[in-house]
Amino acid sequence: MFAYVVRRVLATIPVMAVVALFVFSLLYIAPGDPAAVIAGDQATPDDVERIRASLGLDRPYLVRFGAWVFDILRGDLGVSIFTNLPVSLMIKQRLEPTLSLMVVTLILAVSIAVPMGVIAAARVGTFIDKLVMGFAVLGFSVPVFVVGYLLAYIFALELEWLPVQGYTPFSNGFFPWMENLILPAIALGSVYIALIARITRASMLEVLQQDYIRTARAKGAGLRSILFLHALKNAAVPIVTVIGIGIALLIGGAVVTESVFAIPGLGRLTVDAILRRDYPVIQGVVLLFSFTYVLVNLIIDILYTLFDPRIRY
Amino acid sequence: MDRRTFLKAGAGVAAIGASGGASAPALSQGAAARTLRFVPQANLANFDPIWGTQYVVRNAAVLVWDTLYGFDERLQPQRQMVEGEETSSDGKTWTFKLREGLRFHDNEPVRARDVVASINRWMPRDPMGQLLRAINVELSAVDDRTFRWVLSAPFPKMTMALGKNATPMCFIMPERIASRFDSFTQINEYVGSGPMRFVRNEWVPGARSVFQKFDQYVPRNEPASWLAGGKRMMVDRIEWVIMPDPATASAALQNGEIDWWENPITDLVPVLRRNRNILVDIADPLGNIGSFRMNHLHAPFNNLKVRQAVMTALSQDDYMGAVVGNDPALRKTLGGFFTPDTPLYTEEGGEMLKMANLERGRQLLRESGYNNEPVICVVAQDQPITKAQGDVTADLLKRLGMNVDFVATDWGTVGQRRAMKNPPNQGGWSMFHTWHAGADAINPVVYNAVRANGDGAWFGWPNIPAVEAEVPNWLAANNLAEERAAIGRLNRAAVENVVYCPTGFFLSYQAWRRNVTGITKGPIPFAWGVSKS
Amino acid sequence: MASASVLSPGDVSAANVAVAAPMGDIMPPVKARHGFWGFLYRNPSIAIGGAIVLTMVLMAIFAPLLTYADPTSLAPARRTREPSAQYWFGTDMLGRDVYSRVIYGARVSLIVGFSVAVLASIAGLTIGLVSGFVRWADSIIMRVMDGMMSIPPILLAIALMALTRGSVQNVIIAITIAEVPRVSRLVRGVVLSLREQPYVDAAVAAGTRTPVIIWRHILPNTIAPMTVQATFICASAMIVESILSFIGAGTPPIIPSWGNIMAEGRALWQVKPYIVFFPAVFLSITVLAVNMLGDGLRDTLDPRMAKRI
Repeated sequence: MFAYVVRRVLATIPVMAVVALFVFSLLYIAPGDPAAVIAGDQATPDDVERIRASLGLDRPYLVRFGAWVFDILRGDLGVSIFTNLPVSLMIKQRLEPTLSLMVVTLILAVSIAVPMGVIAAARVGTFIDKLVMGFAVLGFSVPVFVVGYLLAYIFALELEWLPVQGYTPFSNGFFPWMENLILPAIALGSVYIALIARITRASMLEVLQQDYIRTARAKGAGLRSILFLHALKNAAVPIVTVIGIGIALLIGGAVVTESVFAIPGLGRLTVDAILRRDYPVIQGVVLLFSFTYVLVNLIIDILYTLFDPRIRY
Repeated sequence: MDRRTFLKAGAGVAAIGASGGASAPALSQGAAARTLRFVPQANLANFDPIWGTQYVVRNAAVLVWDTLYGFDERLQPQRQMVEGEETSSDGKTWTFKLREGLRFHDNEPVRARDVVASINRWMPRDPMGQLLRAINVELSAVDDRTFRWVLSAPFPKMTMALGKNATPMCFIMPERIASRFDSFTQINEYVGSGPMRFVRNEWVPGARSVFQKFDQYVPRNEPASWLAGGKRMMVDRIEWVIMPDPATASAALQNGEIDWWENPITDLVPVLRRNRNILVDIADPLGNIGSFRMNHLHAPFNNLKVRQAVMTALSQDDYMGAVVGNDPALRKTLGGFFTPDTPLYTEEGGEMLKMANLERGRQLLRESGYNNEPVICVVAQDQPITKAQGDVTADLLKRLGMNVDFVATDWGTVGQRRAMKNPPNQGGWSMFHTWHAGADAINPVVYNAVRANGDGAWFGWPNIPAVEAEVPNWLAANNLAEERAAIGRLNRAAVENVVYCPTGFFLSYQAWRRNVTGITKGPIPFAWGVSKS
Repeated sequence: MASASVLSPGDVSAANVAVAAPMGDIMPPVKARHGFWGFLYRNPSIAIGGAIVLTMVLMAIFAPLLTYADPTSLAPARRTREPSAQYWFGTDMLGRDVYSRVIYGARVSLIVGFSVAVLASIAGLTIGLVSGFVRWADSIIMRVMDGMMSIPPILLAIALMALTRGSVQNVIIAITIAEVPRVSRLVRGVVLSLREQPYVDAAVAAGTRTPVIIWRHILPNTIAPMTVQATFICASAMIVESILSFIGAGTPPIIPSWGNIMAEGRALWQVKPYIVFFPAVFLSITVLAVNMLGDGLRDTLDPRMAKRI
């Protein structure tokens, strides 16, 4: 087991290296010029050139890449070109909203989608099944910002049940925090609910055909206890997998959701940074996202072995 | 990770979930009334008003840093930090005395040497500052409250240069900061002597900036008038909340989640007006001037007739309709390059600007010998004003019969690309859109967009001696009549030679909750005198 | 498919034609149907999804015949008009006709969707095959793909768009690059599992050359999962395109696309919801139809995979 974990952890190193090289090169060849943005409308080309030099943007590729990697290995993500704040601080400031949004979305999605999938599997072929599956396809098909605006229009503007936008820190209390997160979580979760519901249904169907389930039924176990005890336990592997795959989906969706609901999270930080070409911030955030993705999938890989001892490592 | 540690990690998450639920809301009722929540036009991405010259930085900076002089609502510079000044009889030596009791936010007194360092950092970045630098002999502190400036030539517009609201403004910072960072390096300490302190550890760029009242600020006795007079803060705390999406900002204002919104888009104003708790008014009577610039160095716009064809055909109504809608109270058709209702505004020789004659434009284009060269039109999509103008231009050039290559991009890329002097098809450009605050377009020195000194001119590099000849005439003018005469000739030359194309003058609204009082109209959302009940 | 009624009348009738034909002779319910119509009858999601997609394609091709105004001609004097007999879907903030823009907008969404599906499939297939057959290249390629996969596709596409100017072509390239790693992994998985099959082993033992093995044994077996995957890529590309445009990194507004029509209307969604509503409905229905088509294809072409997902 230990050797397996070590092997898996080591395997993530080249992946992260690829990400680092990719992200750095991508931004190196980017055409926009932060110096021009900073200099403002009244600046002369000479001013722009001086600002570029002061930011170190005039150094050659390899020098910049080397310096950058070295800094990152020391845990220094650099300083934002625009705000002059450390990138790690800017990320820290934005972490809570994004993390909150993701956690709430995940909890919401799993608690809605898993029962949906289980019920659909139990009633396979019926109207309920078709309804669940229809909803799932719909969830895939409607873009997250459309769902977001629709929800905000109905629940915030028309019914005035929930705030339209913004984020209240968790330290201000659970309910104010939750109030601001419900709509974005549903909007962001719609794809996720669709995905998890379908996977749950599919893996449940597969498991329900297994011999031991038939045996359990024959022994007179109730349908409900079979579904939730035996079947779901065995369907857990594919469900957990999809949560891992979905992390990428969640991060991508958060970028859009945070724009719609004005949540000051990492997603908006990323979009702002890309549009302004704030290289250190883009690099830091994309690295962080990739690292999270790799880490989550690593943990899931390791969790497999807990859920399903048959998987050898 | 084994099963046990996994479970422990799970328990940790649960514990976080359970705590914190009972904690009290951070703000009590009274504190809420002393906090003004303001939605600015844009994100405060950096906070060095000399290094970064965006309007939004300037607007935040006036809270934190004070200035020696300040424009009042008649655009006249009035003393602010300065108690008095003396000019020598030859006009070449200025001696200034600071007010008593001025303090920086770190409790240090404001000394003359702080002022000297601040002026030195500001000069290279400012058009008027550069004029001063060219004739600078010696700028020095005489004692703690007195500083002297010796010039090689008289500079009658001195107090205007030090008190204007065009960015970069001459803000005063402590010497230790102003002398440590040159004009092209960003400061990382935000200490001023203005009426509010910047709360750096609550600054979340892209989301929030917080300002706290500075108790030791001593306002002047005169009533406040724009940047002049007593800057009295009636609230303890100002929170800038960044909302990039106007729809959410509008909803937030309606729900009372914010108090004051700097720039509601025109189409949302009717909704806001229907709400009895919201007041809407013009934000800045000096408004903005939309424009696009053509590259005078390369075909097709190196050809005067082609430029004239475009200027003749363009309809300012179309541009302004696209930018602010069809509310006539919000727009004016320009006959000149300067801001309407300011002293130097003139329509002399400006007929072509108002023509909006497509047929005549087509005819001029035929006469010009235009050879279907592509027009590389670079348009920033992330700025609503440039985006709307770009769409109108694309349609205009198409109808005019020009070959348009529309490059949709972002403001950062426009900023870089417009500095390229290469031919358009080799990474250069033919045309880009922008806009200028009316408060900046009040004279040919502050407003360098109208200048036409070739390489030294603003992007597009027009080289029109007839325009340039009038600038020294204006600087040397002794009275308004002489100033206006020079500017009239300048305007005529600039129109005839199409230095660039103004697309119209437009105003914008601001909106606030009814319980907020004291909001004024001006080029900056002035927070002094604003109170909340 | 209640939502289909939101479409314009032409679309619904087209959908009905496809479904209604087999419904007519419903007489012998036991008898299995044969031929094309029978296939559609047995696979309603292919029938409905296919009919909607076909309708959208026809709409995109014949856009000039279906519209009454130039989608790019603007007239700020008649901006933000509500939907009426004159402007069916109203006008936007530049006075452009939203109906014409939505009809023409189908072109961008479909071109982006189909092109990305085809390009990502070709690229993914090539990379997947190389990776599956060339042992030494496999680990390098897969590390690169893993790296790219760990960057969320939307983020990657936005970053790529920031490198270049907004155009349909660049949007296609950006989304394709973001999709390729997933396809490559799928193909590689199929190749690796096929290589274990006895008949491939036999072919290798018989000294058959690799290209021949690929052509005879591998490619035919990847076609089914690839087709299904391509459909889903198509749907996802349409959504990513709309998100790119929505963020302001997509197609320029002089080329109307559903995404940028929505992006332009978003500021006004409280007061003029129709500008966002119409393209949103068209986009959602099209993506829905493509997804239904994909589901149907998977059920028929690749029942093994159908069970898994």
